[in-house]
Amino acid sequence: MISAGARERKRDGYFLRAEGITKVYADGTVAVRDVTLELRPGEIVGLLGENGAGKTTLTKILSGLLPPTRGRVVSPRGPVRFGSPREALDFGIGMVHQHFALVGTFTAVENVALSHERPLAPLALAATRAGLERLMAESGLKVPLDVPVEKLAVGEQQRVEILKVLSREVELLILDEPTSVLTPLEVDELFAFLRRLRGEGKSIVLITHKLREVGAITDRVVVLRKGALVGDVRTADVTKEELAQLMVGRAVGTRAARAVELSTEEIPAHAAHGAAAARGPGVLHVEGLTVPGDTKPVAVHDLSFDVYAGEIFGIAGVEGNGQSELVEALTGLRPALKGTATIHGRNILGLDPRQIYRLGVAHIPEDRWRLGLVLPFTLAENAILGVHRWPQFRGPFSVLRWGKIHAHVRSLIERFEIQATGPGAPARSLSGGNQQKLIVGRELAKDPAIVIASQPTRGLDVGAAQYIRDILVEMRDRGRAILLVSADLDEVLALSDRVAIMYEGRFMGVARPEELSRERIGMLMGGVRG
Amino acid sequence: MRKWLGLALVVALVAAPAAAQALKGKVAVVLDVGGRGDLSFNDMGFKGTDKAAKDFKLTMVEVQNATAADYLPNLRNLARSREYDLIICVGFLLGDALEQTAREFPTQKFAIIDSVVDAPNVMSIVFRENEMSALIGALAAMAAAHHGYPKAGVVLGIEIPVLYHFEAGFRFGMDWGNKKYTAVTGKPANVGLLYTYTGSFSDIALGKAATEAMLAQGAVGVYNVAGPLGIGDLEAITEYHRNKGTRSGPPYYFGVDANQDWMGKGMHGLASGMKRVDVGCYMAVEAVVKGTFKGGVVSLGLKEKGVGISRYEDLLEFIEFGVSAGALKPEDIAETILNWQANRKTLPDWIWAAIDELEAGILAGTIKVPTADSLVEMQAIRARYTLGAP
Amino acid sequence: MREGRLLRGVHRTHTGVHPALESVLAAILGLLVGAVIMLLWGYDPWQAYWALLKGAFGGFGYEIPTSVARGVPLILTALTFSICLRAGMFNIGAEGQMYVGAAAAVTVAYLRLPYPWHLLVGVLLAAAAGAIWSLGPALLKLTRGVSEVISTIMFNWISRFLVFYLVAYVLVDPRQAQRTVRIPFSARFPILVPGTDLSAAVYMALGFALLVYFLLWHTAVGYEVRAAGLNPTAARYGGISIRRTVLLSFALGGVAAGLAGAATTMGLPPTYAIISGLPDLMNLGFDGMAVAMVGRNHPIGILFAALFFGGLNAGGRVMQFYGENPVPLEMVRVVMGTIVLAMAIPELVRIFPALVRAGRALVRRAGPAQGEEA
Repeated sequence: MISAGARERKRDGYFLRAEGITKVYADGTVAVRDVTLELRPGEIVGLLGENGAGKTTLTKILSGLLPPTRGRVVSPRGPVRFGSPREALDFGIGMVHQHFALVGTFTAVENVALSHERPLAPLALAATRAGLERLMAESGLKVPLDVPVEKLAVGEQQRVEILKVLSREVELLILDEPTSVLTPLEVDELFAFLRRLRGEGKSIVLITHKLREVGAITDRVVVLRKGALVGDVRTADVTKEELAQLMVGRAVGTRAARAVELSTEEIPAHAAHGAAAARGPGVLHVEGLTVPGDTKPVAVHDLSFDVYAGEIFGIAGVEGNGQSELVEALTGLRPALKGTATIHGRNILGLDPRQIYRLGVAHIPEDRWRLGLVLPFTLAENAILGVHRWPQFRGPFSVLRWGKIHAHVRSLIERFEIQATGPGAPARSLSGGNQQKLIVGRELAKDPAIVIASQPTRGLDVGAAQYIRDILVEMRDRGRAILLVSADLDEVLALSDRVAIMYEGRFMGVARPEELSRERIGMLMGGVRG
Repeated sequence: MRKWLGLALVVALVAAPAAAQALKGKVAVVLDVGGRGDLSFNDMGFKGTDKAAKDFKLTMVEVQNATAADYLPNLRNLARSREYDLIICVGFLLGDALEQTAREFPTQKFAIIDSVVDAPNVMSIVFRENEMSALIGALAAMAAAHHGYPKAGVVLGIEIPVLYHFEAGFRFGMDWGNKKYTAVTGKPANVGLLYTYTGSFSDIALGKAATEAMLAQGAVGVYNVAGPLGIGDLEAITEYHRNKGTRSGPPYYFGVDANQDWMGKGMHGLASGMKRVDVGCYMAVEAVVKGTFKGGVVSLGLKEKGVGISRYEDLLEFIEFGVSAGALKPEDIAETILNWQANRKTLPDWIWAAIDELEAGILAGTIKVPTADSLVEMQAIRARYTLGAP
Repeated sequence: MREGRLLRGVHRTHTGVHPALESVLAAILGLLVGAVIMLLWGYDPWQAYWALLKGAFGGFGYEIPTSVARGVPLILTALTFSICLRAGMFNIGAEGQMYVGAAAAVTVAYLRLPYPWHLLVGVLLAAAAGAIWSLGPALLKLTRGVSEVISTIMFNWISRFLVFYLVAYVLVDPRQAQRTVRIPFSARFPILVPGTDLSAAVYMALGFALLVYFLLWHTAVGYEVRAAGLNPTAARYGGISIRRTVLLSFALGGVAAGLAGAATTMGLPPTYAIISGLPDLMNLGFDGMAVAMVGRNHPIGILFAALFFGGLNAGGRVMQFYGENPVPLEMVRVVMGTIVLAMAIPELVRIFPALVRAGRALVRRAGPAQGEEA
């Protein structure tokens, strides 16, 4: 049996072509901007880009999960339109997502049968099993067939997912960051397998932000930046440095030039870098910290660093390299495996968040809806989250002093210029910027020794983002320690006195921002220690 | 106590003449939580009151209760309206609520089935269920001995004193039947009793489960003493026959309260221990209309035709009842009668004659059927008629 | 206290109108649908609704106290559901906790104490029994991750049969085998309006509802419960122990259900005992969930909703025998169901995402749902 896609491939040189694809989301975000791309049989294409560059959106359009706003997808026989992933699968396009769509209590055989909508009756299962065993023999991908998949290692689960897609006889296989959950050995196995598939004439798209992987396996590399296609080159013709430049922007050394380039979102540098000289005593001391992840056993590897009073210590890097786990471990939300972390010499590992706050930690969380706010709560109720047991807000018998709380909120509204009808307004009625100001106000009202700010300006408009940044700088200037984690490279570079670049749970390097060229940063973010 | 007597006297003086005078033209019947559709107790209460209302040209109002907490408010609502000549409470469980209401509304006439409420404005109608249960017990024992079954079964509801009447009568009857069988045939008969209090008057599945267990132990049939649970009893018996491939003969179903012989197209209902709740309700209405109503206990037995074992005439009457309730299709009437007759033929005539003899003896007073009103009395009877129990 | 403050916990509505107005509109819709049903089956809806209204709220001497009395246990079982929902859990266990509470209340019949101490001891026993019974599902959830939806339903069955057993064999009145021993006068809630069911248990229900309101909206503990219910990750971020809020809300809910058991045994004439088969307790816990929905899971809303339910119930009884062509109980229940459903819909819609989440929690997956990275 041969799929429709395979027949077409023989007649023409390409399998699928995206023409002028643009995707605008309902909220106005332009995720993909006029991208034209050709995918050919027997070729592995690396799709490279930073967070939010549009990689995932583009592949979702190719695999039928999302319709494009403009543009079309063409096969040699004419335009194709997929109403659903199933139609794309029937055409021969399969995608393996970062998060697996497996039923945990089912075995591999049952999961594959389920994806074929076959009944889970013994006869049908036997047929599925036979097919799977043949596929495993051909592909070299081995998985236990009779164990519930939740009992398998993550790498094995991924293989089940890949087998599931392969069992549909796909011609184009799209893998979204497949190596992020794998051990190095598993990565090698996966790559060997992908090469074999290429040999069979399949077309493969590998979404990644790791330069090493691009060099190791791809034939061609497509680079996206801010939704636009900025490079489509043969891997052999390009250096890692060039790719890093393409990924993070033009090679510009001086801050002035950068300001010109980022005309829409200019971030004034906070001149006080000289303050590094005046930086105070150590506040946060981390040594040998190892933290587990949700899907991988270790997300943060043996990390050591210090943050001093009066400095902003920035952590840059592509998201998902352990930054969130690091912050969670430091704020009591995630237990650490090894190492120590102290604030002013007092241990914080193993404490609950409230105890850590009491030691002078303020935490501006990366996700204000999930962590930072209780959206149906009022401003007043949100303004005491985490400090609701402090004596100024809580009287005898645990009774809340609403009068004092409201006065406190009114002062926050005034000081942080929060646009709201009053302390009784629900937090969800605020704009994103005002919500973030409320969180920042709440955290700074703790008069902390250290502010741990994670993605503090994400999703905010230019004005609100700048306001938040100004406040962080002001706190720094008033002698507070600030740990800033941001995926926005410009932000980290502009604000930080020292920058660490994080990759796969480790710091690739720590330096003052002006010591780092952009291409070097791009290399480090891509895991290449030039 | 003295005060109550005095009050009662005043009430009697005031109420009695008033009753003979103008009627308001309305009666109410209050059913317990089991509600309509049981094809026995509650439906019978409805049937009797309905018939009386028609005969005496009264309006009848039927009141059901969603929960036991509704009993008292419902009785109060009815009494407060002062529109009713008589309020009939069908069921023992209404006793507590009636006791309270009767005290609060001393000029309102009430009747209650199955419970004794000591108030001058309440006619308490009770039945000598032991008498007809004795007939069923004798029939069951002789049928078992005749067909070579070791046991006969009784499935009962909640262990309330009323049910002791049934159990006591049934035990006496089985003992009588065993002896009779031996006397007539010369063969020894030692049919034993299987009985269980299911604790429910509503959970049909419990009836089925209990019956299945009894059939497995060799019961010739099951006497239903738990209202709607009989539907489950009969289901178990019908399935048993279906598995065996038989259409008549043992195991039999013995119905209760109403004549339930016609149920399941009359295939397995051999006889019913009828407790004519309808007769009691009719009597109470009649007493009010004729001005003869007075408080106190009225006991109905074989003699008053308040209880009895089902016969052919009863079958016809209750087939009509079943058709009007929608439980029996009119086109099935003939088949039902034939089935029933065929089933009765599975026992020899002398057994039926023996049942008549026992009935005559009870009516004449030569045979006394024991009864029990408390656990202590019941235990004494259990000790006397052990029926195979150690 | 001004109403605006009291109802502060009521959320904005999907229709955009004030919740109270929305409830009234829903009730009107339900009444209309009920009227259509009655018309279709040949009953006179005007007459029936007139009977309902008169029966429910026709006078202060009898009708209103009767309606209120009927609402008393529902206030408490509704609170059980609402407290836990506010903490982010679906506690279906009010029914079983109430049974256990009722059985515990009956045990005071074996004690000899003067009024009101006898009454007080009974109330405390019932509250403690309800709370202890509710800890089963809470601990299963905390230690083994068992969904409280499943465990509370199972515990309902366990307690049902346990109380069946207790009624039939342990607490049974030797002279009246159909019920337990009766609670003596010294342990009964005094009747407030003679000739009605309304006892002082209403003060207990009212007091507990106000206590819950105060606890949830005016104390740090209640604040933690609500935060954990609305956004558990943010609560954790805020240093709130989810373990604590789960235990507290379950225990408090259990107390409410236990008190409902006390109210129905110690505060409801004429029996003052549990009848075999529990016909006087059955479904009060489940009805409480409907009351909670109509009352929008707010203690003050629940007070009104319970009064409304009590009225429906009391008026519904009257519909059965009022006028020329009275409505039989079966039809009354259909109409009641329609009205209640209409009134519960706004709240059901609001908590629908939480319902879905609870359902999802039952069907575990290998990993989280597909990534939604844009």
